[in-house]
Amino acid sequence: MRLKTIAIAAAFLISGGMASTALADYPEKRIDMIVGFAAGGGTDVMARTIAPYLEKYLGNDVSVVVKNMPGASGQIGVTAVAEADPDGYTLGTYNLPGAMARTLDRHADYNADSFTYLANIVNDPNVIVTPKNSDIDSMDKLVEAAKARAGAVTVAMSSLGGDDHFFLQKLSDVTDADYTVVPFSGSAPARSALMGGHVTMGIINVSEVVAFRDELNVLGIASEKRSPMAEDIPTFKEQGFDLVNGALRGFVAPAGLPDDVESKLLAAFQKTYDDPDFQKAMQRSGNPTELALGEQFKALNAEQLELAKRIWETHPWK
Amino acid sequence: MYGNLIDALPAVLSLGNLAAVVIGVIAGICVGALPGLSATMAISVLIPFTFGMDPLVALGMMAGIYNGAMYGGSIPAVLLRIPGTPAAVATSFDGYPMAQQGRGGYALQVAVVSSAIGGIVSALVLMLLAPPLAKVTLLFGPTEIFWVAVFGMSAIVFLLGGDVLKGLISAAFGVFVSLVGADTITGAERYTFGHLELLDGINIVVLLVGLYALPPAIGLLEEVRDFDTQNTGRLNTISIWKAMPGMLKYWKTWVRSSVIGVFVGILPGAGGSMAAFLSYNEARRASKNPEEWGKGEPEGVAASETSNNADTAAALIPALTLGIPGTAVAAVMLGGLLIHGLQPGPMLFRDNPGIVFGFMWQFLFAAVLLIFLGGALATNSFAQVLRLPRPLLGAIIIALVFIGVYSINGRMFDVYLMLGFGLIGYFMDKLKFPLPPVVLGLILGGFAEQNLRLALRIGGGDWSILAASPTAKILIAMILLVVLAPLFSRWLRARKTHRANA
Repeated sequence: MRLKTIAIAAAFLISGGMASTALADYPEKRIDMIVGFAAGGGTDVMARTIAPYLEKYLGNDVSVVVKNMPGASGQIGVTAVAEADPDGYTLGTYNLPGAMARTLDRHADYNADSFTYLANIVNDPNVIVTPKNSDIDSMDKLVEAAKARAGAVTVAMSSLGGDDHFFLQKLSDVTDADYTVVPFSGSAPARSALMGGHVTMGIINVSEVVAFRDELNVLGIASEKRSPMAEDIPTFKEQGFDLVNGALRGFVAPAGLPDDVESKLLAAFQKTYDDPDFQKAMQRSGNPTELALGEQFKALNAEQLELAKRIWETHPWK
Repeated sequence: MYGNLIDALPAVLSLGNLAAVVIGVIAGICVGALPGLSATMAISVLIPFTFGMDPLVALGMMAGIYNGAMYGGSIPAVLLRIPGTPAAVATSFDGYPMAQQGRGGYALQVAVVSSAIGGIVSALVLMLLAPPLAKVTLLFGPTEIFWVAVFGMSAIVFLLGGDVLKGLISAAFGVFVSLVGADTITGAERYTFGHLELLDGINIVVLLVGLYALPPAIGLLEEVRDFDTQNTGRLNTISIWKAMPGMLKYWKTWVRSSVIGVFVGILPGAGGSMAAFLSYNEARRASKNPEEWGKGEPEGVAASETSNNADTAAALIPALTLGIPGTAVAAVMLGGLLIHGLQPGPMLFRDNPGIVFGFMWQFLFAAVLLIFLGGALATNSFAQVLRLPRPLLGAIIIALVFIGVYSINGRMFDVYLMLGFGLIGYFMDKLKFPLPPVVLGLILGGFAEQNLRLALRIGGGDWSILAASPTAKILIAMILLVVLAPLFSRWLRARKTHRANA
């Protein structure tokens, strides 16, 4: 009887002790950060920039190691995150609207419920650009040209089912005109085709236009407020077009993360975001930042999925 | 602008930065010489490590690796008929026959000198003509790039070999492989059978290694009792400095191939292998004895090696000025720049002249270093490899290609794919199907398809867009000239003999 009591007491002690260590000690081993793209890409640079700050704010001398799993435009990496153990030792980068759009236009082994949404860090709004020598240098002229003949305006962009494509669909609705999509598999080739005058207009992101301001006309930016990266570009809202859209890049973990681990991670992301050195590093790599933490990020994801669904149902792209 | 060039020089000459270039060149030669490892892969492995480095050290190593690998690829291409990199395929056409005739050492010397010359020309062009050449790049929209791909395809004709039907089947197989993956326009999956690994298409290195490296490696394993390697192990060379004056007669090929390499370099998407094929073809057409080509003509090695190095720095012109890489390696290098906060574009030259122009100097130094490092390494170290017992050599190569192919994306799927291609390559070899058309078909097939479809989208489905711009018209005229000239000269010859007989 006494033995049994001791055993029970010991068991309590051990389990209680374990629970409290888990609470106090996360992280106690290396954290893998899965990037669905090759080293050196925009998403990879974001992950490598943030890793040392997470290490600092998570404490415990933890190391955050970036693991590149490129392929299928990020889908291989995102799938690996969704299927990892939800213990806080596997995080991953997450790109919107791509990650959600792939659940519609391809077979995907994950859905919106497969993740714990940690933090969206980058919000890169779309811009409309035209060649420098083009007559179309304002939204009014663009709408006029687009309405003159259906499909007369050719639009260079990076791919179908991405943020630029969804933006074009919004533009098409708002201006009540049809455009011809020319997907170049990448923003840089699209931008070059535009600079060479091979297409009428282009849809890229503000981070991709900053270094080329003298070579292109920028007609507007699809954000609520003007971008600190380019204060002189007017928003579409200012010009009377209700257009807000962009590419989002953030971080997720597998669904079912323990609450204490989740709150530690959220706190670390918040502190990282508030660190002026981190902001400076992001600025240097040309990433416009805008934080959406936890539930806020989850809502953002749901919003992006709704948008993708609406476009997929009305204008399927494949 | 030229003042910036001079200003950037002192930093490049500092010990650390110079050492980075030297290490890069040596590493590049080794990586290029090992089948299955490529410059693209070496640089992507390096990039994460450069995160904390000084930008010039990191970029110097990359410039060294790029130049070194382009030459290194020719070493196994010459000695074993296994191209170390995709760009060395054309080098094996005449390099390997030369090695069989006991002139392998000379072939490597021609390769290293030609590589250095191509690299120097390319670096100078990058230093002096980058902004105007970027404007040339802009002239090439989808329509024009489509015609460049067709022009490249017309080079297939000479690669078809003796049996035209077998050659065409090989080329068609290459084009078929290029179809695998997500459709570049709509994203529809083609021949992926639900495998995410196939969505991005089949990596050229996987195909190249499977077709080119596995069958000869298996062949080496079959030579169990052949330990008499004395003959092939000796390269019969004289010092590279004594050999160089004799090479001056290739100057026309050097000039022509440099121009072709630079031109292909500034076109987005084309790469070193296309440059090498094109310039081999052009050099052969200009030669007085084209029937000797493919049987051990040193000029063939010179043509291919000059242009695949002339492609290197030139490929960075569109990469640095427009953000569009001319080759896969340049694409990875862009990543290396990005990681240091260096965004491509006109602002890059204004905001970071020290780094951009320093990087250009490093390309120049890397090219010059090739003669010293490559010359010594090629004639001394790598030839020793041939003294190894053949089965051992075969086993080493097989182990290397497994590691190399696995490390492209870090997955076994690519290794299985390579084994599949190895099987196909083994039978193609036995049944005498030529391999080069497969490589060219894979490179140009996807290139031509994507750009044709983009062009037609821009033209609203009207095919006349294909001949609309002046650049397109010039390209069409060039293609007609290349295709029709041999037919015309044959007709002339036939008429002459007919007259003589009559």
